[in-house]
Amino acid sequence: MNGVMLVARREITTQIRTKAFVIGLLVTAVLVAAVSFAPTIMDRPDSYTLGTVNSQQLPLKAAAPDAEFTWRGFPDEAAAKQALLDGDVDAVLVDGTKVLTDGELGSELSVLLQSVNREVRLGAAGVSIPPLQMVSVGADTRYEAARTGIAVVLVLVLFMLLMGQVMMVAMGVVEEKSSRIVEILLSTLRPWQLLGGKIIGLGVLGLINLVTILAVGLVAAAASGLAADFPPGIPGLVAGVLLWFLLGYAFFATLGAALASLVSRQEEVGSVMTPLTMVIMLTYFVAFYATNDPTGTLATVVSYIPPFSSMVMPVRMAATEVPLWQAGVSMAGMVLAVLAVLGFGAKIYERAVLRTGARLKLGDVLRAR
Amino acid sequence: MLEISELRKRFGGGPGASEGKVALDGISFAVRPGEMFGFVGANGAGKTTTMRIVMGVLQADSGSVSWEDRPLAYDDRRRFGYMPEERGLYQKMRVGEQIEYFGRLHGLGQQAAKKATDDLLERLGLTERRGDAVQTLSLGNQQRVQLAVALVHDPEVLVLDEPFSGLDPIAVDALATALQERCRSGVPVIFSSHQLELVERLCDSVGIVAAGRMVATGTVADLRAAESNTLRVVVRDPAPGWADGLPGAVTATDGKHVLLADGERDDQEILRRAMKAGHVEHFGVERPTLTEIFKEAVT
Ligand SMILES: Nc1ncnc2c1ncn2[C@@H]1O[C@H](COP(=O)(O)OP(=O)(O)OP(=O)(O)O)[C@@H](O)[C@H]1O
Ligand SMILES: [Mg+2]
Repeated sequence: MNGVMLVARREITTQIRTKAFVIGLLVTAVLVAAVSFAPTIMDRPDSYTLGTVNSQQLPLKAAAPDAEFTWRGFPDEAAAKQALLDGDVDAVLVDGTKVLTDGELGSELSVLLQSVNREVRLGAAGVSIPPLQMVSVGADTRYEAARTGIAVVLVLVLFMLLMGQVMMVAMGVVEEKSSRIVEILLSTLRPWQLLGGKIIGLGVLGLINLVTILAVGLVAAAASGLAADFPPGIPGLVAGVLLWFLLGYAFFATLGAALASLVSRQEEVGSVMTPLTMVIMLTYFVAFYATNDPTGTLATVVSYIPPFSSMVMPVRMAATEVPLWQAGVSMAGMVLAVLAVLGFGAKIYERAVLRTGARLKLGDVLRAR
Repeated sequence: MLEISELRKRFGGGPGASEGKVALDGISFAVRPGEMFGFVGANGAGKTTTMRIVMGVLQADSGSVSWEDRPLAYDDRRRFGYMPEERGLYQKMRVGEQIEYFGRLHGLGQQAAKKATDDLLERLGLTERRGDAVQTLSLGNQQRVQLAVALVHDPEVLVLDEPFSGLDPIAVDALATALQERCRSGVPVIFSSHQLELVERLCDSVGIVAAGRMVATGTVADLRAAESNTLRVVVRDPAPGWADGLPGAVTATDGKHVLLADGERDDQEILRRAMKAGHVEHFGVERPTLTEIFKEAVT
């Protein structure tokens, strides 16, 4: 175990000191913060400046509480027209009967002006109309937009981190194999210790990235006010995402290491990894699709099938309410898959990593001895 | 004692198949504690293959390696120091950290690893390069780091594949001294080399391998004695025709006659004749150099 820890520690300390890691972490943090602020910056409440000439201000705020209204009084129509043409005001109410605009008025504001005006006049005439009561008989959709947003960001982050860390594992394996340092390492370490240490070390780095992203995202969302729209159960979601990331990473990284151990040159890593990167891409596409249709048959079925479940299930959990037993069953399946892959991958790695030279065939490695 | 017996290895072809390339064809030898064993042989003879099997990074088809009278096990190998033929270091890792890391992997504590690293860097003249990435070092200096990696845990056995290649004469001496020191403290050292003068100078015994077989092994002196059969006699200003009737051929330069005699002969008769003829400057059996023995053995 000591050997595993030494190997893991070396991976962590060497990576963490590289410029690439530090810059990567900073850039993702800034990007995530930007994403958390963007909706509040772009979705600014509508604000209107209105003028009056010889009229009463209309109680618009009462009818549209989300919008901002500023009123300015003008002595006569000429002054009001000038202000309109200069773009200082959006509309001017004249004598309580006429609205002056510069070009056509946005339909939202004009409907609002008309209906409030009507209500005020009716009220003055003693007619009062109770407002319509709104009752939803469907699911609670208050958080739908926020849930979809979170799921989309999550799927991107999970995909990028998974792909990045798995490629790092593969490249590390080939680095050791091509430089033959593996000969010295394996005269003092068991193959599984070297493999395990590498996977754990790079996994910890992935977790550092993921935790940073989640922390920056949540803090930024709280600061920007976006968090007010978040559905309940965020802590559970965060814990689930971390777990699912670890499972997915363990699965793909072990296979990545096994495939990478078949080749002896960095240039060959890409081609030998192609089948695996395809599976990761496919997982990503399905998960992305699930952000849109989290309750559909495809998303539901695939969220039970390892390794796809490692990305689709957390996305479903973010995008909709998933019963706990479903998440549990899916996770149990993934854990089994990870265990199977660990046994299989370690065997391939052990047999292949010392056989430098031409690219080995998976079948030959499995058949040998 | 490290004992290698009857190692066989075939590359390519299935198990038991007759095709494939035979790399080792029954190699056997032993290295005693405190002995420096030089492993020589032409390119492709099987030196590296043998050493890799000893270090457990390659499996032999048959044969065995034993250490202190029991089969060599993984835990024993952890106390060996190994320098592979193709050098392997983490190119981006710093020199000092790299040596320390290998010390830790071999079971040293943090303090011990650091101290051993400092000592080795000092001895190998790399103290100023401690904090540099390995890839910024010249090839020879990387080689010194590689050696430090093999030595850091004060190994019980040293297995070094061509440790001297690529080193300058100063570094060769430093390495030779370091190895001799380990040897004196009772560590068996095996190293392969193509620099035969060096092997001759350093090694207690040598093994010459050709086409996967050990064709000659023993101390350098024994090998030279076994191979030597030419009598060489130098006589100054002898009477002309002094060697008539003696076996061998005489060459004369500036009044100095050299007689070289092979095969059947009466050494005492030759000496008597020479002494009668003139002043004998040299009389003795020719000792071939290791290079000559090597050429003889592998052809
Ligand atoms: N991985 C391998 N696959 C196939 N053949 C191999 C392999 N490794 C070694 N051989 C063959 O085994 C034989 C012995 O090679 P080895 O490397 O042991 O020679 P060597 O004595 O170390 O030579 P050199 O002095 O050139 O280093 C050679 O014929 C070589 O071609
Ligand atoms: Mg060799």
